Amino acid sequence: MKVRISFVLLLLLLASAALTLRFMPFDYASQDRTATMAAASAEHPAGTDALGRDRVVRVSAALLIGIGGAVGAAGITTMIAAAFGLLAAFSPAPAAALLLFVSDAFLSVPWLFLLMIARSLLPLTASPLATAVTTFLVLAFLGWPAFGRAVYGGTRSMLSAEWMIQGRATGLRDGQLIRLHLLPHLSSFLVPQFLICVPAFIVAEANLGALGLGVGEPMPSWGGMLLELENSAMIARSHWVYLPIALLVVVLLILESFTTEVKSHA
Amino acid sequence: MHKLLRPLIPCAIVLALATIGAVSQTVQRRPGELVWAIHYDPKTFDPAKVDDQASELVRYLTGGVLLRLNHATQQPEPQLAESYRISPQGTLVEFKLRAGLRFSDGSALTSSDVAWSLRRVLAPATQSVVADEFISAGKITVDTPDPLTVRMHLPQRVVAVAKVFDEIAIEPANRPSEGRITSGPFTVSEYKRGQYLRLVRNPNYWRRDGAGAHLPYVAGLRLDILNNREQEIAQFQRGEYDLVDGLSPEYFALLAEKTPGAIHDLGASLNTEQMWFNQSPSAPLPEYEKAWFRNRGFRVAVAQAIHRADLARIAYDGHATPAFGLVSPANKMWHNDALKYPHESASDAARLLAASGFHPSGNKLFDSAGHAVKFSILTNAGNSARQKMATMIQQDLAAIGMQVTIVPLDFPALIERLMHAQDYEACLLGTSNAEIDPSSMMNMWLSSSPNHQWNPSEKIPATDWEAEIDRQMLLQASSPRESDRKAAMDRVQQIVADQQPFIYLVYPNTLRAISPRLRGVHESVLSAALVSYIDSVRREEMKQ
Repeated sequence: MKVRISFVLLLLLLASAALTLRFMPFDYASQDRTATMAAASAEHPAGTDALGRDRVVRVSAALLIGIGGAVGAAGITTMIAAAFGLLAAFSPAPAAALLLFVSDAFLSVPWLFLLMIARSLLPLTASPLATAVTTFLVLAFLGWPAFGRAVYGGTRSMLSAEWMIQGRATGLRDGQLIRLHLLPHLSSFLVPQFLICVPAFIVAEANLGALGLGVGEPMPSWGGMLLELENSAMIARSHWVYLPIALLVVVLLILESFTTEVKSHA
Repeated sequence: MHKLLRPLIPCAIVLALATIGAVSQTVQRRPGELVWAIHYDPKTFDPAKVDDQASELVRYLTGGVLLRLNHATQQPEPQLAESYRISPQGTLVEFKLRAGLRFSDGSALTSSDVAWSLRRVLAPATQSVVADEFISAGKITVDTPDPLTVRMHLPQRVVAVAKVFDEIAIEPANRPSEGRITSGPFTVSEYKRGQYLRLVRNPNYWRRDGAGAHLPYVAGLRLDILNNREQEIAQFQRGEYDLVDGLSPEYFALLAEKTPGAIHDLGASLNTEQMWFNQSPSAPLPEYEKAWFRNRGFRVAVAQAIHRADLARIAYDGHATPAFGLVSPANKMWHNDALKYPHESASDAARLLAASGFHPSGNKLFDSAGHAVKFSILTNAGNSARQKMATMIQQDLAAIGMQVTIVPLDFPALIERLMHAQDYEACLLGTSNAEIDPSSMMNMWLSSSPNHQWNPSEKIPATDWEAEIDRQMLLQASSPRESDRKAAMDRVQQIVADQQPFIYLVYPNTLRAISPRLRGVHESVLSAALVSYIDSVRREEMKQ
């Protein structure tokens, strides 16, 4: 029941964000220089930011970009982790050890450093969309190692299961074993991992944005908007500066309820 | 605990530790003491080796000088020297010292101390930044015909030489003390790295007020080392700090509500905010981009498309003045009042671009070879006013079809790109001008200088107008007549306005918060003005 409410809430949030972007007369970059830090009004339901940009429009765009990017990145991470875990589990012992060493090496690399390198390799004229895509792709390619090790461990334990032995005895090849037997069994493990990654990536993007390493202006992002909160003078001027963080917490709690529900059924 | 809150635990611990650290750093204010914050530790207390802002402040507060620049009249005035004269050829400067001068330890201050201090600053081994201002420091001689007379013989005229003595602290001969024995209003008493610096009143300071009372009035100063604007503002609001210098516009509005009467907007400062395009031939940029940036029409069109009044009103909350030239109107002596600059107009900008070989297609602009006009503007991360300006410029230039991306970089990465790799297209930064005399800008405007930002270290001037700037700058630096210097500087300002190598955006206003308890504070937009009258400032204690 709880998860259904959460799901409906999330859909409502996403739908409202999409409708806001569709029907509001401003886009997220439009500056109304005659109405900076404006109070809430019929025209701007949550007021405007320091450059006169509509807060509701920007928060809606950030919501869709954040969730869309995080879901995409979590999907990529899950696929890489599954591919890595299965490859290692089906490889001879020395090759598996080498693969696990690679994943450990990945784990030891400071991800912030890697992200900074990745961002510095982007051309300076990279569009805000390109910076957003890069940010989430880097998160996806950095998020898999711990998860991949778990897939490897799970697969190894399943290799000696009776249904696997039966599968082999019926003449199934490795690819068929993976598709027909392993992946369905691993799904109870992969789905929660995917659901854990989504909020983790949203928070990671918010952190990066707050450090100035995330999505480029004027495209809105959670991190970019949270930067307003570092300045007490801005907070004193409008309580609507809390809107992004409030919405972020709501989204994270909804996503967390999915994870809890799926894990309880696993 | 909720799992999503777990990552917040380290943050909470760090915050708690920081709070504990801040509390443990709290030092009791001594009676009669003034307290404010400086952002960094002084690199040195040796007045001859100062090369950073914090050290310069300490030298200003502790060092007795022969002459001091009056920030109201912008003229040097005698201090330890009772009088001075410069020979008509400008090669002899003679000082007559006041009688009865003493250092803070009670020892007599004579011409031999002055000569020793001057020679020490001029000696190559000291590596004093001030020595560079004498041009041929190694050939200067100093003699002392009597205990109250000092003569400095210069090999050649040095323009505005008198102001240089404002930066030379007189120390006891052969006893350099790093600010412990001084002839200025205060002496260094206690220093805890990263925490605070305490200065106490010099009991033998030479100045007295009209009633004959010894100055300074205050018993001492405590300068907390604090690079956190939020904490600094909070301390000021609690009455623990007496002033906040360089207040940012957002906090100005906040303090205006909570402590009206304590904040001051002194109008345009000497500082400028500007953007420029990379015109260096060695820049790793496509040739067509370099051609845009070298095109005067392109630069002027960009200057015309930017709404400076909006930048001042929005990015600085109205606490900035739109800028069109390199010298701020606050510098009354050197500002060119007759400056002609390109007026703001997006339609005129579009016409100029068309005349310069660019053409619009849809809402985008293309050059004659069909390249879309697309470039990035670098600025330093963490400066909200600059980032706001960059975002506004992005929209202003979109109106004439230019696609701009904004790249905030941390300062070391930014400097690496600007000064070494020259791997950037455009940059938005500011210039802090502590001095009014244009000689201090030589390193920025001479084409051979590494700080000639749009095209550093040119072997020969790349354009006629840069050659003309070189000539005029050298003329203003060497001409004995003030009127000739002013004419040369006016010409430089006009060339810069015509060519727009720097597109000036705003002059940020000088914003300060000063405790209403302080009396005798003289206000001026010059950065050192607040402390230059420190010896006549009083602090009223709260009545019980």
